[in-house]
Amino acid sequence: MSEILSIISSTIIDGKKDDIVQLTQQALDKGLKATEIVDNGLMKGMEVVGARFKSGDMFVPEVMRCARTMLNAMEILDPILAETGAKMVGKVLLGTVKGDLHDIGKNLVGMMCRGAGFQVQDLGIDVQPEAFVKAVKEFQPDVLGMSALLTTTMRTMGDTIKALEEAGVRETVKIMVGGAPVTQAFADNIGANGYAANAPAAADLAKKFAAAA
Amino acid sequence: MRTNYRIHSGIRFKMLSDDQLQALFDGTLHVMETTGLDVHHEEARDILKKAGARIDGIRVRIPSYLTKRALSSAPRSFKIYARDGNPKHDIHIGPGFAYFGPGPTPPNFTDVETLERRPYVRKDARVVAKVVDALPNIDFCESLGTISDVHPDLAASYEFAEMFPNTSKPIVAWSYGWDDGEDIHKIAVAEAGGQEAFEKRPNYVHYCEPLSPLTGSFEAVDKVIFAARHRVPVIFTPCPLAGGTAPVTAAGIIIQAAAESWMGLVLAQIIKPGVPFFMGGVLSVLDMNATILSYGAPELSLMMAGITELAHYAGLPLWQTGGCTDSKTLDEQASLEGALSCFFSALTEGDLCHDVGYTESGITGSIFQTVMMDEAIGYSRRITRGIKVNDETLATDVIHSVGPNGHYLMHKHTQEHFQTEFWFPNLCDRRSYQQWQDSGAQTMRDRVIERTRKLLTTHEPSSIKPETEKAIKGIMEAAEDRVKDKSN
Repeated sequence: MSEILSIISSTIIDGKKDDIVQLTQQALDKGLKATEIVDNGLMKGMEVVGARFKSGDMFVPEVMRCARTMLNAMEILDPILAETGAKMVGKVLLGTVKGDLHDIGKNLVGMMCRGAGFQVQDLGIDVQPEAFVKAVKEFQPDVLGMSALLTTTMRTMGDTIKALEEAGVRETVKIMVGGAPVTQAFADNIGANGYAANAPAAADLAKKFAAAA
Repeated sequence: MRTNYRIHSGIRFKMLSDDQLQALFDGTLHVMETTGLDVHHEEARDILKKAGARIDGIRVRIPSYLTKRALSSAPRSFKIYARDGNPKHDIHIGPGFAYFGPGPTPPNFTDVETLERRPYVRKDARVVAKVVDALPNIDFCESLGTISDVHPDLAASYEFAEMFPNTSKPIVAWSYGWDDGEDIHKIAVAEAGGQEAFEKRPNYVHYCEPLSPLTGSFEAVDKVIFAARHRVPVIFTPCPLAGGTAPVTAAGIIIQAAAESWMGLVLAQIIKPGVPFFMGGVLSVLDMNATILSYGAPELSLMMAGITELAHYAGLPLWQTGGCTDSKTLDEQASLEGALSCFFSALTEGDLCHDVGYTESGITGSIFQTVMMDEAIGYSRRITRGIKVNDETLATDVIHSVGPNGHYLMHKHTQEHFQTEFWFPNLCDRRSYQQWQDSGAQTMRDRVIERTRKLLTTHEPSSIKPETEKAIKGIMEAAEDRVKDKSN
């Protein structure tokens, strides 16, 4: 591996979000391909970050900073990747369902997914089923993630899945659900593809779904 | 000469100086006035606007004079009454009192028979109420769960309907919104003997929860309006996560939480000046690795002590937190975290201390944890009762009469005072090794489980009036009718 890729990787791990822009540009100038930079530089760094987080050696604010660093590099690389038609990690659509304003967990999922290389669109809070349908059609995500904290609003996850079925786009996405009262059994019951207990697990699940797509 | 001599027998605990408290107070007013809060409730915004708040879309900025006016009309001292008139179950809110009880809404419950973690069901509300009624150091009742085996919209109504006949200790009720709040109120009023009688002797408290940061959801605000209009003592308690939905610093999270809670205070006091109001909430850290709100962190106790002192400084009672844990089971961690937070809460004299019985960071309710904490609260209360110093307790005459080489066992002084000077444990084992071994070598966990099951079979709570029983039946039938066309 070239030296600059290992520097990029350690810059991600250190979360030096201002340095990464120049480094990414340097790598491109040296003739490295965008896909190489992503796979052997950025993602290598994020893998270390993920492992350290799992073992309790890194903490959320640090991981967020690393993900932000990665995003800064991707802003340069995304247009090139799109041009060359290279396969991206995937796209994740997120939202807290109708009637629910709780979103800290969903925001964490968004950051973890960005850190894993996903393009993420976040619809925010109190998202109507129709708004999910519209975004699925337009953004064409590989994975849709829905969250709810209340047992009353949790039900609208099922309503949203029904709305996607009626619009004929249910099969175009894998659906994962989460939130304190949500369980695997509930996910199965409403016809979701998966359930994640926390943000890192959600990012892992999204990776699994996107890889299978 | 001992001018104004007073026998001080409690423990004096104070963490923040008056200057620090004034800074927190000013910071809170500043946030309310300059940043303001989003209030997702049109009628509430209108009420606040008429009173002098500045409205910009859904953003409400509350001038300091409005907040100060609300603080002056909210009472510091009042009573919540036992439904059956048993004065031992009354709650006296005011300086020097600290009460304890469970918490609301975990999705899971530890089954009392099988010990497994499973979804909370209707019969669990009866179990919790009955054990709470029996425990000497648990003073108010909450359900420790959200009922999963009824129509979701009626979970809170059934919860109250199941608890109310099974304890005469005041209940802190929780509801999703106005309709189920009304079901609950009707049950309480039926037992009290009408709305007027209820207002004189309120027998429950209503719990509402704004969102952090700085947001009043429609339901939470609607419930405050309901409680104020019906003169139900009301708790408005946010649940901010330091570093996630609130500043990472203890002082920062305290002023944000205070601003969130006082928005409800201002609204309630405009609608019904003098309606009893409890300031909240639950302040703790977002664990930066496990990504949960920690219920066992030392910062929880620390931040709760800070907001309790701010509440008392401002002249309000506080909704304290303790007896809870991040542990998944009834183990040493549950005991350590729960006991320390109970003790610290008792020191602060936080008025109603809830969540006694939360395990798994609030995801699983456990009445076993509540029973174990009853012991920790008894222990804490013996310490906070302090040392009484007077001629009788100094006992110089007694010491003189016994003298060197004597003993105190037979002395009248010992006979008269040992039962009040000493605390007697229900669960902690102090016997000899041999005695302990001969009686089955039980661990604390074994004894907690045994005591819980025994209380359930032996304790009989006082009954509700026959007309209340009838009223509950009618109210729940009407509630079922209300939701019959709504999906599960």
